[in-house]
Order: sequence, then C-alpha cells, then structure tokens
Amino acid sequence: MEFANFPYLSTILFSCVVGLLVILVIPAERKMLIKWVSLVFSGIPMVLSIYLFFAYDKAQGGLQFVEKVLWVDSMGIYYFNAADGFNLPMLMLTGIVLFTGVLTMWELELRVKEFFAFTFLLVAGVFGVFMSMDLFFIFVWYDVSLFPMYPLIAIWGSTRKEYGAMKLTIYLLAGSALILPAILYLFVNSGLNTFDIVALMQPGVFTPFQQKFAFILLYLGFGILAGVWPFHTWSPVGHVAAPTSVSMIHAGVLMKLGAFGVLRVAIFLCPEGWQYWAQLMAVLATCGIVYGAFVGLAQTDLKYVIGYSSVSHMGIVGLGLATVTVDGLNGAVFQMFAHGVMTALLFSSVGYIYEKTHTKMIPELGGMSKIMPVASGYFILAALAGIGVPCLASFWAELLVFISAFKTYPVRGALAICALVVGALFMLRVVQRTFYGEKNEQFEHLPDLTFVPGIPRMILAAVIVLFGLFPSVMLDVIQVASVPFINGLP
Amino acid sequence: MMNLWTLFIPELYCLLMAVVFFGLAMSASPNPRRDYFAALFMAGVGVVVALACVRLEGTLFFEAYRVDLFSQVFKVMLAMGFFLVVCLCTELNGIEERHHPEFYLFLSTCTLAMMMLVSSVELLTIYVALELSSYSLYILVPLRRGDGIDVEAGIKYLMVGACASAVMLFGLSYIFGVTHTTYLVEIVQVLPSVIGTPAAIVGLLLMLCGFFFKLAVFPFHFWAPDVYQGAANQVTAYIATASKVAAVAIIMRVVALSGGNSKYLVDVLVTLSIASMTLGNLVAIVQKDMKRLLAYSSISHAGYVLIGILSMSASGYASAIFYALAYLVMNLCCFLVVVKVAHDGSDLKIAQLAGLHRRSPLLAMALMLAVFGLAGIPPTIGFTGKFLVFAAAMEKGYVTLVIIAMINATISLYYYILVVKAAYLMESDEELPGLPVSIPTKVLTVVLVTVMVVFGVFPHHLLEVARAAARALM
Repeated sequence: MEFANFPYLSTILFSCVVGLLVILVIPAERKMLIKWVSLVFSGIPMVLSIYLFFAYDKAQGGLQFVEKVLWVDSMGIYYFNAADGFNLPMLMLTGIVLFTGVLTMWELELRVKEFFAFTFLLVAGVFGVFMSMDLFFIFVWYDVSLFPMYPLIAIWGSTRKEYGAMKLTIYLLAGSALILPAILYLFVNSGLNTFDIVALMQPGVFTPFQQKFAFILLYLGFGILAGVWPFHTWSPVGHVAAPTSVSMIHAGVLMKLGAFGVLRVAIFLCPEGWQYWAQLMAVLATCGIVYGAFVGLAQTDLKYVIGYSSVSHMGIVGLGLATVTVDGLNGAVFQMFAHGVMTALLFSSVGYIYEKTHTKMIPELGGMSKIMPVASGYFILAALAGIGVPCLASFWAELLVFISAFKTYPVRGALAICALVVGALFMLRVVQRTFYGEKNEQFEHLPDLTFVPGIPRMILAAVIVLFGLFPSVMLDVIQVASVPFINGLP
Repeated sequence: MMNLWTLFIPELYCLLMAVVFFGLAMSASPNPRRDYFAALFMAGVGVVVALACVRLEGTLFFEAYRVDLFSQVFKVMLAMGFFLVVCLCTELNGIEERHHPEFYLFLSTCTLAMMMLVSSVELLTIYVALELSSYSLYILVPLRRGDGIDVEAGIKYLMVGACASAVMLFGLSYIFGVTHTTYLVEIVQVLPSVIGTPAAIVGLLLMLCGFFFKLAVFPFHFWAPDVYQGAANQVTAYIATASKVAAVAIIMRVVALSGGNSKYLVDVLVTLSIASMTLGNLVAIVQKDMKRLLAYSSISHAGYVLIGILSMSASGYASAIFYALAYLVMNLCCFLVVVKVAHDGSDLKIAQLAGLHRRSPLLAMALMLAVFGLAGIPPTIGFTGKFLVFAAAMEKGYVTLVIIAMINATISLYYYILVVKAAYLMESDEELPGLPVSIPTKVLTVVLVTVMVVFGVFPHHLLEVARAAARALM
C-alpha cells in the first residue's frame, strides 16, 4: 500500500490531457509518431483503470483513491475525484474502449493529428465525468466530452455525416441546457454553498418537492445522452454517421455517460425524486426496449441495426435504474459495462467489413463468414452477447435487471422480456443474412482480419467472455456501492 | 493638488495619445508604418498605466467623478481592448492611408470617453462622456474606404444614436425632477424610497435606453448588424468589444442606483434580456456574413449580461463584470481571425472561411475555441462567465429565466457550429494559398487562446477581482 496516496485518478485524466497537448505540438506530417503517442497515452489510462478496479478495497468500501482540492473558494467548487463501486467499472470500460479505439483507427490517413487530438479531448471529458464527485466539474467534463463529437463525426464520418453530427450535438447540448439549471437549482437551494456531491447527498438537504423538480430535469437532461425513448433519435443517426472508433467510444462509452449521470447526480442527490418518478422511468425504458427491437427489425444498414439495438439495450439500463432495488442497480451498472464492450466490438467488426467492402448494407453482403471468418466471428460473438446468451457478460446483467423488473413492474417486465425475444430474432436474422447464405462474388478476393489489426477485437472479445464466465468479479465491486446506497434510502 | 491629478492619469494618458495623433494627422505625407508603431507603443504603455492605477481611489471635479476599484478594473479592460484592437491594425487596408492618424486619434478619444464614462457618478458628466464616445464612433464608422455601405452604416448609427441620446436626456430630466439632484450618490439615497412612483421608474428606464443603445439591447439593436458590416473590420472589433464593456459598466452603475428592490425594473430588464437573447440568436442563424453574425451574437450576449445585472446582488454584478471580460477576449479572438482572413479589408463571408484549417491551423483553432466560448462550452472563459451569471440569477430564484437562457444557448450553438463547420469541414472551390501568419500575430493568438482556456479552468483569481470591483460598486 505504499502507493496509497498516488493520484491514480488524476493520472488517468491528465494522461489524456497531456496526450492532447503532445499531439498538438507534433507536426501534422508525422502521422506514425502521432499514432504511437496516442497509443502510449491511451495505454496508461487503460492499465491504471484496470489496476484500480482490482486494487479497490471491497472490504472497506466507500470512496477510495480520493483527491480533493479546493478550486473556487467563494462558490465551494472542489476538484474532487474518487472511485467507488459505481464508477470503477465505467473507468475500466472507458480505458479499454479508448485503447482499442485508437488501435482500430491505426490505418487512418486523413487529418490524423486533429483526429487524435479531438479523441483525447473527448475521452478526457468522459473520464472526468466518471471520476468527479463535484457537480460543477461533472458538468464541465460532460460538456467537454460532447462538443468534440461534432468535428469527429462531421470530418471523418460517412452517410449523412453533417446532418448526423449536427443533430447529435444539438440534442446532447439541449440536454445540458436542462442539467445546468437543475445543478444551479440544487446548489442554491441546499444553502451549503458547495458543489461537493458527498455533502449535498446527505439526507434532509433538499425538500421532497425540490428533489422531484430537480430530478425530472436531470433525468431528462442526462437521459437524452443515455438514449432514453423518445429522445433517442439522435443516437442511431449519429452512430451510423460516425467513423468506427468514434462509434465505439460513442455507443460504448458516451451513452453510458448519460446513464451514469442519472445515477450519480439525479439518483444520488434526489433519492425521493427518484422513487417518485420511477414509474415514468420504467415506462420510458420499456418503450425504448420494445421500440428499439422492433425498429431494428426493419433496418438494412448494419450500423443502423447496432444503433437501434443500443437504444434497446440502454432501455435495459434504464429499466434497471427504475426498479429502485439492489439487483436492479447492479444489473444496470453491469449492463452499462457489458453493453459498452459489446457495442464497441460490434462497431469495430462492422468497421473492418465496411473498410474492405465499402458497404454496410445487409442485402449487398452475404456469406461473409466464408470470406472473412475471423472478422465475422467477432461480430457473431458480440451479437450473441447482445442477445443475452449465457456465459457472455450481458447475460448476467440482463438477467438481474429482468428478475428485479419482473418483481417490481410485472407487466412492463414481461413486455421487456418479449421485446428481448424480438431483439434476439432480429440479431439472428442479421447474422444469418450477412454472414451465412450465398456469398457475394464481388468480395471474394478480400483479405480477412490478420493478427495485428485483430488485437483490439481480441481484447474486447476476451473481456466479454471473461466477465461472462466470472460475473462475480464485477458484481462484487458494484455490490459494495449499491447495497449501502439502497439501504440508506429514506 | 498633484495627488488629485494622479487619479486622472489613465484619462490624461489617452488625451496625450489623442494629441500625438492629432499632430501626426497634420503631417503632409502618409506613413502607415510610423502611425501603427506609434499607436502600438502608446496603447501598450496605456495598458501598463491603467494597470498601475488600478489601486487608486478618490473623487474628482466636485465629486462628479469617482475613481474606485470598479472603475479602474473597467479602465484596464478598456485599455486592453484598445491595445488589442491596435494589434489588429498591422494591415489597415480598410481605411485610406492618409486617414490612419485620424483613425487612431478617434480611437483614443473614444477610449478616453469610455474611461470617463465608467468613472462618472453625476448625470451630466455621464451624458457628456457618453456623447464624446458616440461622436468618436460616428466618425470612425464612415471612415472606411469603400462603396457607400460605410456611409449608410454611419448615418444609421448617427440616427439611432441621436434618438437614443434624446430619449436618455428626457429620462435624465425625470430623474432630476424626482430627486432634485444630478449626483448619483444623492440619487441613490432618494431613489429607492420613490422607486415605486411611475416618474422615477420611467425616468430610470428612459435613462437606461441610452446605454442599451450602446450595448445593442433589444429594441435598440437595429444599428448593430449594419454598423458591424459597414465599418472597417478594426473599427467593428472596437465597437464590439471596448464599447460594449463600457456600456456594461455604466448600466451596472445605474441599475445599482435602484437599490435592488424595484420589481418593475426587474420585470422590464427580464423582458429585454429574454427578447435580446431570443431575437439575436434566431436572426443570427440565417446570416451569411461573419460580421453580421457576430453582431446578432452580440445582441444575444447583451441579453446574457443583463441576467447578471438584473440579479442586483454582489454576485450578480461580479458575474456581469466577469462576463464582460470574457466577452471582450472571445470577441477579440473572433475579430482577429476576421481581420487576418480578410486581410484586404473587405467583409468576410462565412463561406470564405472554407479551408481555414489547412490555410492556418492556428487561426482555425483559435476561431473554434472563441466561438465555442461564445456558445458557452467549457473549458473556456465563456462557459465560466455564463455559469456565474446563471448562478447569480438562480440565487434570486429566476429558474424560468435561467432555463430560457440555456435553451437560447443551445440555439446559438447551431450557428456557432456553422462557423466551425466552415473553418474545419468546407473546402474552398479554388485552391487558396496558405495564410501566412506573422510571429507577433501568432504570439497574440496563442496569448488570447491561453487566456480563454486558463481563466476558464482557473477562474478563482479573476473572480476575486470581479467580486472586489462589485463591492466597490455597491
């Protein structure tokens, strides 16, 4: 424990910031150098976040690796980072997706310097939200993570990229237009003159009315980013338009930011508001699950398929949060992690196929498993994980959510389970039509994924299988945070 | 006596500059380099002088003129704004060479007038200072070399300005009638007790009209787009920054007179603020010309600043001061790019920004940060300013106002993104050459960008200064 006071969390954060600054001073022509620098500075957060996940003392629980510095005296703003059972899986997820995302974009040739600079800015924001325990900083990092999405999609994207990028940015920042008033409302009404979440979450700080009012603003604001139905429409469009690694980071990590914001800010600070609005949350989440599954059935573009399955899967996170139970919370956080890794793998595989065939339309593909067995294998694995096949990470998450949802809201739970079957149907249909059946002669000569470009997919696949086989590794950590939290509810 | 005159040093220094350029204007042969370096040097020293005088306190001219931290902080901002605008004048192609000394001369008198404006605590002094600054600008606007659009802009500015100042004089007469004095110190003792009477509230509002004209608050905003477009780029930069900062200062002084307990005044200010934000943002969306876009954006920013002012609390005034400084820096950064890209002195269409990321990555980045700052995205100073302003309004319980303002900020994001899109995504039809940026310009750009980011991330010290200045005001 001699490293107990080492600022691990800040190191993760500043690794991204320093990476950004280093990239800014490298001349744009040195593309290889930029990629290697990116790899190094994305490797550090990954290693550290995995280390923290396992170094967290589960027996002790609570907030660990705390760093707290007074930032603005007169307003009680603290630079306050800490890790608990809720954000450790998210930090690890971000680390893994960032690293594999950088590897996935190894072949990039267009405006390399700017691409990686924006990526690091984005990810710094994401890490910041996940680790911060101060409302002001959560909001700052949240906005920092949103605006690089515009250039990232609009410059390097495809398929209606400018429309998708603009829609996404406006939607998400409209969300933050609801969050900021809510945060200021809580700040002013607490009377404590602090943005410190730990101080603000003490019982009795806010009246029930204040909690209900702030909760709905925060839920809708963060919910837009979490793809809560009916505010999800930016998400499939944005996913389709974005380049591969941005889709990975975006669907894999950024949408979790919304769900995590609901958890960390709305639920933590307004538990009574949470209980009051839980019914509505459950309705919207169920709508999202059902809607995503059915709309996904009709899609012919592989990326749209994944986009709508994301809406459906994020609905499961929402449903878990809406149950107000330990199992529901565990399942929701686990699902955030599992879905993040799984979607990253899906986008990564589609990215490879698109790069080689220049199409992601299902009817034009076909028999891909005979042409690219390895790339297809990764996609199929991730698709199976999405369906909820046992021994893969999502299975446990979805199981937990559905059990607790079925207990709390039998009708909505049953509907969601039916939708899951539809979801399975559409995923299997996609797999069948894209990877089996008649192969398209035109693509026959195309090379399969070789070992080195396969590394990022390998890492992601390994994580899915690992946490599918040993779910308790994840659940034990989440439990440490969720059990005391639910027991402490008024 | 010597002691008293030291209080007046920043103003005297501006007067000296005006005299120097008056002398230079007499010389027969135009010499732009000489004029530029003289202006640059003197404006630079001006900043130092203003900074050196920041701690002075006292009153002058039969108590009509107060020097306190509030006024001195604004004088520093004005001197900085002036200096930075002069920095943009390396290629002053928008104005004929023989008029360059006059250009600097009137910039100096205008800065002088604005410095006087932020220190005046007597109605007639305020009026004289305001008119001096306006008249300088009336001359600067049509100085542009061009096809008559400058004259149109100049006339429009003069007409609207004259109307506003007539209305203001009318308001001053009401205030005098109600309070029997022209000294703000005495008005502030009398006015809160009579603020409920129609005469007092009408007088105060009419008086504010003159300043709203300066700040381009709805419904006194009509001049802004035409004047921004018609004036030379550097003059527009000055109008958009220094002039706005002075207007913020004087509006704060006048609003502080009410003592903070007039519901009517608050209601009117809330209405104007919402109207300004909404109108500015919605009309900005359809603009094709960069300067017109910035004009409408400035109208909406006037609305945001008003939110801080109408909170009428120490934190509200402090946030407005912070916001004014943030606005100064971000807008100057935008105009830096305008001036450098349109280096022949012409107007800049947004489409002409195409390919900027290739022609000059540094300017493109500066522009992106500046417009995202204007949109209120962290980690820029613009976000911190908005945050403070909204926090102050929330303290007073204006939840709806804050939500409307945030929705407006989201709307504004659309057109700011269009600017970023032009600079980063569009490629121009013909192959444009790279945009050579000289070393001093690079340094200036980097400094502005650093200020925007560093004070956005570490607002603590700046906020303390703003708070101290706000305390001096109250």
